[in-house]
Amino acid sequence: MTVPIAHAGHWLVNVLYVAPLLVVVGVLAWQSMKDRRRVKQSGEPIARRPPTEPPPA
Amino acid sequence: MHRRRLLALLVFAGGAMLLAAPDSALAHGLVGRQDLPIPKWLFAWGAAAVLVASFAGLAVLWPRPRLEGTSERRLAGVPRFLDPLAGALGVVIFVLVIYAGFAGSQTTTNNLAPTVIFVLFWVGIPIASLFFGDVFKALNPWRAVARAVAWLVTKAGRGGLPAPMAYPAKVGRWPAAIAILAFAWVELVYSGRGDPSNLAVLALVYVAVQFVGMSLYGIGAWNRYGDGFGVYFGLIARMAPLRWSRPALFARKPLSGLTNLDVVPGTVALILLIIGTTSFDGFSGGPTWGNIAPELTNVFRVIGFGQATALELVFTLGLVAVTLIVAALYRLGVMGMQTISPQGPAAPELAARFAHSLVPIGLAYVVAHYFSLLAYEGQRMAYLISDPLGDGSNIFGTSSATVDYTWISATAIWYVQVAALVIGHVAGLVLAHERALVCFDGDSQVATRSQYWMLIVMIAFTSLGLWLLSAANS
Repeated sequence: MTVPIAHAGHWLVNVLYVAPLLVVVGVLAWQSMKDRRRVKQSGEPIARRPPTEPPPA
Repeated sequence: MHRRRLLALLVFAGGAMLLAAPDSALAHGLVGRQDLPIPKWLFAWGAAAVLVASFAGLAVLWPRPRLEGTSERRLAGVPRFLDPLAGALGVVIFVLVIYAGFAGSQTTTNNLAPTVIFVLFWVGIPIASLFFGDVFKALNPWRAVARAVAWLVTKAGRGGLPAPMAYPAKVGRWPAAIAILAFAWVELVYSGRGDPSNLAVLALVYVAVQFVGMSLYGIGAWNRYGDGFGVYFGLIARMAPLRWSRPALFARKPLSGLTNLDVVPGTVALILLIIGTTSFDGFSGGPTWGNIAPELTNVFRVIGFGQATALELVFTLGLVAVTLIVAALYRLGVMGMQTISPQGPAAPELAARFAHSLVPIGLAYVVAHYFSLLAYEGQRMAYLISDPLGDGSNIFGTSSATVDYTWISATAIWYVQVAALVIGHVAGLVLAHERALVCFDGDSQVATRSQYWMLIVMIAFTSLGLWLLSAANS
């Protein structure tokens, strides 16, 4: 197998496909942190417990 | 928590390894040169933007479930003779394909069997099912034969057939999942897949298994859970705006049929297999796999395997590995969703509840990866119906027809592929949002927050799909 560094130009283009995913993960992580901080301050639960019964058949 | 981190690390490490592997020159036959106004990776950015906008739109404009539990409207009656007639047609086509497989030319492109099985059956029926409902159920040849036998025995005997055994709940759709994996293995790994007689033998083996299953557990139960193709095409048909049943044709909202899917054991695996095996098909046509496969094949050859066996082993490993990466990606999304309400259902239950949202993605992957196959190879039917055995006959006068590779450009195919992926993932988002609304009692704010992880999963699948397509077409 060839050393990947020698082909940096090729695989960097491939990495661009992951970039939007990383951006969205970053934004959502930041948003979640903000939510949690707000919940800690207000004292209300971040999410109600969903029912455990299965979805309607 | 450590398991989650480890899984996340493994998934991203796997993805990074796939992406970081260096390119090499590799020719790909079917799709020609594409003339695109922007680089392909920018389509991934555009698709992600569409998904984020759809997610935001759902959060604001879709505050209560609109698909879950909706009713259907009767459109027209279905004559009683239509079901057996369609079944008889299915049996005739099946017999013709098997006969061509054994008696016809053993050159792949000159024989009816490979094109019917890999193009019309595997790609054409799912697409037809999306628009017209469960067409395969009507045409299913082994179901038709079993029903005919049951009818005859009932007519001839006094008591009819003995009652079938109860279908084991624990088995669920696992037989169907195994059947789809086996078909994918034949299509993507097996070195004898181009040999029509091999395909005919495998088709007969499959039918024998179906007869055993139907005789043990009943025709209806086995078709619903055990028949790989019946289950797979039936899943796709749940997205259709039409539903056929014995007395009538019903209309319903598109996608709504998926909301009442009974997620028995094996269902999640089956859906992930559809995405995973199609992903491997794309991946194995790209330069990254073109670099990895020869290296691994050499390892197996050093151990003592022959070239063909070594190649099959390597492709089997690749098929399993890519499917596991896809499954891990979904699992990661579900585990993330669980962190929103740690007191709620466990990850396996959440995985089952949201599994139906992956069905449109499965079809999107199939359309994106195989559209060019249908568009080009499907044309072979023009001469194969006149010369199904490849022996020079000309039954309908079309045996001189050829494949026109210019009727649709490579650029147009790329746009169809991108559109299929984006629409499929938006449909997946809609279904996941709907299910979250039901799970969280219509609280759209909490439901939206719980879907952050599903959004990430959808964007990951879209980026993966576009990357695979761009690599395969490079």
